[in-house]
Amino acid sequence: MRVTYEPAARPVPETPAVQVRDLRMSYGSTEVLRGVDFDVHYGEVFCLLGPNGAGKTTTLEILEGFRPPTGGTVRVLGLNPAAQAARLRERVGMVLQECGFPRQARVAELIDIWRSYYPHPRPLAELLDVVELAEVRNTQVRKLSGGQRRRLDFALALAGDPDLVFLDEPTTGFDPEARRRCWAAIENLRRLGATIMLTTHYLDEAERLADRIAILREGRIELVGTTREVATRAGLATRISFNTPAALRRGQVALPDGIGLAVRGQLSVCHTGNVAVTLRRLLDWALENRLGDLDGLAVTAPSLEDSYIQLTGAIDAGGP
Amino acid sequence: MTRAVRLAARQALLEQRSFWRSAEYALFTFVFPLMILLLIGAANVGSYLPGSHVKNTTVFVPGILAFGVIVAAYVNLGSKVAVLRHDGVLKRIKTTPLPSAAYLGGLLASTVLTAILISACTGVIGWLAFGASPRPDGLLALAAGLVLGIVCFATLGLAISAVITTAESAGPLAYASFLPIAIISGVFDPTFGGLPHWMERMVDAFPVKALAQVLQGGYTVRPFPALDLANLGLWTVAGAFFVAWRFRWHT
Repeated sequence: MRVTYEPAARPVPETPAVQVRDLRMSYGSTEVLRGVDFDVHYGEVFCLLGPNGAGKTTTLEILEGFRPPTGGTVRVLGLNPAAQAARLRERVGMVLQECGFPRQARVAELIDIWRSYYPHPRPLAELLDVVELAEVRNTQVRKLSGGQRRRLDFALALAGDPDLVFLDEPTTGFDPEARRRCWAAIENLRRLGATIMLTTHYLDEAERLADRIAILREGRIELVGTTREVATRAGLATRISFNTPAALRRGQVALPDGIGLAVRGQLSVCHTGNVAVTLRRLLDWALENRLGDLDGLAVTAPSLEDSYIQLTGAIDAGGP
Repeated sequence: MTRAVRLAARQALLEQRSFWRSAEYALFTFVFPLMILLLIGAANVGSYLPGSHVKNTTVFVPGILAFGVIVAAYVNLGSKVAVLRHDGVLKRIKTTPLPSAAYLGGLLASTVLTAILISACTGVIGWLAFGASPRPDGLLALAAGLVLGIVCFATLGLAISAVITTAESAGPLAYASFLPIAIISGVFDPTFGGLPHWMERMVDAFPVKALAQVLQGGYTVRPFPALDLANLGLWTVAGAFFVAWRFRWHT
């Protein structure tokens, strides 16, 4: 469902919504975060992507003011979360992992009391719409499905009309339909103008939702940027492919020089860092050998999945 | 300050609505004590305490009053808070700007309301069924005893919640930690006695018998229960210290 409410007028100060510099965290002698730096800008969806145990939740808990860091500086909406947690709570919505509800409360009743905790709450009807729970508004929370409970999480996090929303692994363990509806709810959240920072170990989730991605691995940020930038900076080549022409398959035509073209049965494939030059050479070669326009010619940008697997090792790469 | 009070009142109303929606809480808190009142009360009709003109039911009804207060304040609040902590509801509250005092105040206010309701039911049924009624000049002592009893056992309820780690064990543990003491304190049997000396001392040390005796003072003439009041006061203070030391918002 598309929500068409006017986004709230939000101040967009010069400073980032979240600023993390040289963040360090140790539990005893175990170093969980080893100098993490990133910014989250107002109005964007920022995703902290990484395998389990990379330090995503720890980073989020520090930003939420639940843990003081061992070292480094952190500013959230210009505030120091460890020292100014109370002021932060009024302007930040949080969806934590494994947070339950009072079992006997009803959906609308619970959202409504949550609204009373905040100085400038969003209207109840709007919250129910955003998370698509209007039809179960009078249902007791214990009777909701997992996906509905997660969307209720969103509604509670949004009740105070926050400037910033933290989502910790919002769709872990959900079936595809529940994930799809969660994503729709998150896209509705962003349409309301909130800045969103989420963690996930699902690539498709990061690719689908995020404007920018930071890959966190073993307590360090490996890469930050847009999906495209992350993929490019991981040093991955663009892939060019086309249907292998009959003449080439029969060996009547020699392979072109210098572009590393490989014939894999029906498909011919090469990888390149310079798409224009490679394409020109390929098409010239096709012209010379009267192969026509190269049937099924496709240029594929490197995907986030490729870069993620390259960076973290295929074994770490989670996914549904 | 007024905002915190308003928020606490709202929280208390939501808790009350939730309480009455939940068969297990409402049933255990109300049906269990009232059933005991009627069954054991009926068995004591026409009997007198040995060597006196005091009817058994006159001390049995305030004993069940004490039992009701303990179930409502200690068992209910203790297991409820343990479940809220186990389910992560307390942690979720910490993500909001709601002051902790307003939230706990709401839980406590709802507990007080439940305890007053069960006391009223016990008192009225005890009067209608067995003719046991407080002495007119014992009413003040009775009211004071109820207030102190609710405060004491609600504090101990918060304390026991801090040592319960799973939702499944919350109710059973809360009951198991006081029912044996209630039995050897003679709450269910006015003529109960003959305990070994050391066990008598132990019963005197716990707050169950103390509350029962303070409330019995509202029904029959008894010496001023200075020791019993001191007992309840000490347990309240000890419970409060334990809560301050061990209470956590998440597991």
